[in-house]
Parts: sequence; structure tokens; C-alpha cells
Amino acid sequence: MKKRNLILLWLTAVLILLAACQPTEQEDTINLPAESPAPGVEPPPGFADWDAVLQAAQGQTVNFYMWGGSDLINGWVTGYVADAVQERYGVTLNMVPVADGPEYVNKVLGEQQAGRDEDGSVDLVWVNGENYRTMRQAELLYGPFSEYLPNSIYVNWNDPSVANDFGLSVDGYEAPYGKAQFVMIYDSAKIENPPTTVDELLAWIQANPGLFTYPAPPDFTGSAFVRHICYHAVGGYENLLGEFDQALFDAQLPACWDVLNQIEPFLWREGQTYPESHTRHQELFANGEVYFDMAYNPAEASSLVENGRYPETTRTFVFDEGTIANTHYVAIPYNSPNKAAAMVVANFLLSPEAQLSKAQPENWGDLPVLDPALLGAEDQAAFNAIPRGVATLSTEELAANRLPELQAPWLTAIEQAWETAVLQP
Amino acid sequence: MPTRLRPYLLLAPTLAVILLLFGGGVLLALMQSVGYLPFLGRTEITLDAYRAILQQAAFSQSFFLTLWVALASTAVSTLLALVCALALRRPFRGHRLITFIFQLNIPIPHLVGAVGILFLFSQSGFLARLANLAGLISQPADFPAIVFDPWAIGIILEYVWKTTCFTGLILLATLQGVGNDLETAAQNLGANRWQRFRYVTLPLLTPSMVSASVLVFAFTFGAFEVPLVLGQRFPSMLPVLAYRSYVDIDLNARPEAMAMNVIITLLIGVLIFLSTCASRTKRCAVNGER
Repeated sequence: MKKRNLILLWLTAVLILLAACQPTEQEDTINLPAESPAPGVEPPPGFADWDAVLQAAQGQTVNFYMWGGSDLINGWVTGYVADAVQERYGVTLNMVPVADGPEYVNKVLGEQQAGRDEDGSVDLVWVNGENYRTMRQAELLYGPFSEYLPNSIYVNWNDPSVANDFGLSVDGYEAPYGKAQFVMIYDSAKIENPPTTVDELLAWIQANPGLFTYPAPPDFTGSAFVRHICYHAVGGYENLLGEFDQALFDAQLPACWDVLNQIEPFLWREGQTYPESHTRHQELFANGEVYFDMAYNPAEASSLVENGRYPETTRTFVFDEGTIANTHYVAIPYNSPNKAAAMVVANFLLSPEAQLSKAQPENWGDLPVLDPALLGAEDQAAFNAIPRGVATLSTEELAANRLPELQAPWLTAIEQAWETAVLQP
Repeated sequence: MPTRLRPYLLLAPTLAVILLLFGGGVLLALMQSVGYLPFLGRTEITLDAYRAILQQAAFSQSFFLTLWVALASTAVSTLLALVCALALRRPFRGHRLITFIFQLNIPIPHLVGAVGILFLFSQSGFLARLANLAGLISQPADFPAIVFDPWAIGIILEYVWKTTCFTGLILLATLQGVGNDLETAAQNLGANRWQRFRYVTLPLLTPSMVSASVLVFAFTFGAFEVPLVLGQRFPSMLPVLAYRSYVDIDLNARPEAMAMNVIITLLIGVLIFLSTCASRTKRCAVNGER
């Protein structure tokens, strides 16, 4: 891991040098696109207007730190996005894959400790939830910038699920990137009638020992699965809404650990161990060791089918009581030397064009974050025409079964307690 | 004058790197482990982190697992290396080819080895599929749990696979260095095969065997990537446990991560010191006199 980072660092350094050495002939030929910022919003700190941002962005390299566990997503970013921003804005996009968010949080934090306040190595991060909260609280983020992005006019900032990231307000420190919803994945050739409620799933697990497991929290996906069980065990998410409350936690959550411990002997490997990550869990499902997969992305299964990694008969379902949904974002560290280019990339990711490309199952299949009502008729039609993929549920079915996320401190507390209450014998 | 300075000058670049990167890293870890975290506004020195991890059952379980893996890997690989070195010592038909094969995995990274073990030995891996084809097992769970297992067999397998040739090559070089005059002499004096091995060859090999196994032990005790890929989730080996605390979203877990790293470093350091002493002179461990 470390070695790879080092190599990437060197590559980046070489790229920057190369970029610096190149003659600046590009500047003359490129016509700056006629884009204007959202009206009535102050320009981001350090820039007079959007033209200044575009000018400054020319020739900069953006180190985009993101979860790198999906070849599909990586390919979309290094291919489509990188090509587009290079061609249109003269911005070089360098994707840096990480296994989990805290890796880049630690990196920026380390730079802050070392006093590198001007020349950080991270320019853009794919972020939400706990990592956003940590970075925001340690004042590691640049902003406010996101409401000034020209394409943010397509974002409905009044939608609480967009304006709040796991209960913490966005305040222009994050630019929306996409929406996601949790789904369960199964192979219809092996299970004809999948369980449709949490109760039925629990019964299925006990009736079919060894064929179910979930990634060990703090893995993002596994943690989300555990929250579904907890919502169920405490009698609904309503009981856990609001600020984190230790007394409430201690009173309510034991019910959740009871349920998880009851099913543990019936899990894969008798629950003695859990898959380390979502990726590992996908391998178990693909190899037929377990019969259920899960994803915080409704279209992931379809993409994997299209790729040939999952069987054609793969399908998804959401629980009748609903599944958790959230918005994910990109943010800019306070010490990025390439903030202008990072904003240009964030703005491009928000464009109807990029959101449409991202929503295609063969590209990524991520849910668009733009409000259809704010789009032109043409764009609306294009979004409606997105092929859904064999395993993806309809937008209506997903929207009808949506549960909110808890505030981030709840997540952290649940993840930590899971270690001692469920994992350790 | 220049000749007296020469070794220092030649060593300076390497020493500077070691002292700065390793020493600096250890110093930072030490500071953070005692709770000195100015970026969190904490400058008070405290041993809370050490106290906390030493009280955790998870830490002691991880410690014993790590000890088991390091000891088992070192013992098995050293024994295999000894046998291989003795076998490869004298020429035979195909000797060069087999020596080449024996050294083949030296440049292969541990991570690749770990993934290879995963592909071969997991319950839906290559061997499980062969067993299924042969009608030995009917579903993945029937295949014995060799990776992610409580005894860390998968991790030990990887370490044995990788370190046997390392130790073996060191032993082989030693054997070729000493030649076989002493053994021939012993034979002439009437020593049988076992006696020649026990009283001549083995003592000659012991110093390099000790240093090679100390290196192997120190590496397997402190390495992180193989247990991360092949280990079960709980208990996990110490380096993995430390890594998890390090990437914990709660920054307050940082001192504990660093305390674990300091403990790992300390244990390995003490071990290397003792073994260096032991191989130099048998008295040094007692009172340090030369």
C-alpha cells in the first residue's frame, strides 16, 4: 500500500514536471466555455469570479483521492472524466485509489501537522459521512465553493438529503457527486423467492447455515447492513434520529447485538470470521460461497452482470421496510495547491452530461444527484431513457423504500460496539 | 586522516536515511503513543494508551496469535531450509535447475504470494474446485478452512513458502564457504553420518541459522500485508490491529495505534539485540564483560 502510494507520488511528480515543461501552446487555442456561476452566491475564497477559476485551472493537475475498489468506477474517472477535463479545461486528472476514506483524511491531517498548509498532495476527495465530519471539524476542507459552481443550479439545495451529509450541513464545503441506495443482491437461479423483510432474511439465514455473511464494519457496506438490522431491532430508525446520545445508545442497541449474535452461528464460517471488505464479499458471492451480496449502489449488480462477473440471473431487492439512502460528494482539502482545477473537476462532475454518463450501467450506474425538475426537457428525457440493467430496481420502487442515514457519530459508535459485542467472542 | 574517516563517509548516506526515516518515525510514534498530539490540542504526556491496550483482551489475543505465527513460520521454514541446503550442497543430476527453482520466489512480493495462497486454498479456490471435480466435496464449506482460519495456517503457509528459500540460500552459502574438510577429518576419525552432522556441520551452520531465523521472526512478527489478506477478522495479528487503530475515524485511537507500534518495535529490537549478543559471545547476556 505504502509502496504504491510512493510510486504514485513519484508518477505525480513526474507528471507535474512534464506538464510544467510543456510549451503553453494550449492557452491560445482553447476557448473558455461560456459558463457562469449561480447567481447571488459569493465567489469561493481566493478567486474573483468563475473566469478566474478557469484561468487558474489551466495546466494544473488534480490528485483525486477516491475509493478504488471498483474497476468500473476507476475506469470511468480515469477515462471519461479525465479525458473531458483535459480536453476542455486543460486540467490533468490523476486518480489516486484508496481502500478506505480515513487513508486520505490521515494524509491531509499529517500534512497539517507537518505544516504543509500551501502545498498539500491531495486536491480532491470523494467523501461523505464520517470522513466529511472529521475533515470539517479538523478544518481540513476548503470552502465554501460548491454553491458557486455553475452546474450547481441543477442541484436542489432545499432537499435535506442533499444539503445535509449524514446529519451535518454541507454549507458549500462539498459538491454533490451522486446518490446511492442500499440494495440486497441474490442469484435468482439459486433462490426463487428472496426474503423481502429483515425478519424473513433473518429466518432464511437460520434455515440455510453457512450461506450468508456481511463485510465486517467499519467497511462501508457492511456497516450499512448492520444499520438495517439495528433499525429493525430497535423498532425503527425514528428511535435513533437526532444528535448522538450515549444513554439512548446503551438502552437501544443491545437489541441489535442480540439479533446479530443470534444469526452468527448460521453465518459463513459459523461467524468466526467476516469478510474484510466489500470487495472480498463480492468474491465470496461470485464464487458461490455465499448466496447474498449487498451494495450501497442500486446498479452495481447490473454492472457486474454486464461485466460477466456475476451470473445473468443476478437480481436485487430492497426490504419492504425500506433501505438506507444517502448522497455522496467531492470536497477540496484546505491545503490543495490546485483548488481552481479541483473546482473545475467538481463542476464537471455535476454537469448533466457527466451525471448522465455516470448513470449508464456500463459506465458506473450511479444515481444522478441533479433534480429532474431543474433540468431542461431534453436532459430530463435523456435521464428517463437510461437503461436500467437487468438487476436494477425501478427508480419508483427505490424511492418508495428509502430510509435516512443516522448522524455520523451514531455510525462510529455502532461500528465500534459491533467489534466488541458481535465480532469478539 | 582520510582513511580513518573513510568508512564513515561511505556509510553516511545510508546511516542518514536509517536514522532520519526509521529513527524519526520511531520518535514520532513514541511521541504520539504518549498522547502528544498537538493537532488535536493535546500536549500532555500520559501512558493512558499503553494502559488501555494492555488491558484489552483483544490486544493480548492478538499478541499470542502474532507470537504463534512468527514462531511457527520461523521454525518450519528454518527446518525446511536446513534440509534443502543440505540436499543442494552436493552436485547431482539437475542440480543447477533445482537450485534455480529453489531461488525463484525470492523476488516475488509477499502480497503476490498471499493472493496466490488465497486463490489456491480458499474454500472456493483452485484446490477446492479440483476437490469438487473429483467428487471429494459437494459445496465450498466442505473444504477445510485454510485461509481466514483461527490457526492462521494460510499466513504461516505464505511465510514458509517465501522465507524457506531465503534462509536456505544463506545456509547454502555458509556450507559452501566452510567446505567439507572438517567433515572429512571427522569421518577419518570414525564419526558416523549423524555424528558428523550433529557435531561438525550443525555447529558450523548455527550462527547463520540464528541470524537468518531472527530476521525471519522479526519480519513475520511485524509484517502487515499478508495477515491483512489471509487473516481472520478477529483476533488479528498485531500489525493489522495497529493499522486498524491508525485508520480509525476516531482520531483519539491514534495514541493506541502508536503504542502498539512502539511495543512491536521494542520486542523486535530486544530480540535482535539478544541474538546479536548471543552470536558474538555467550557471556554478554550475563554481565556484558568481554
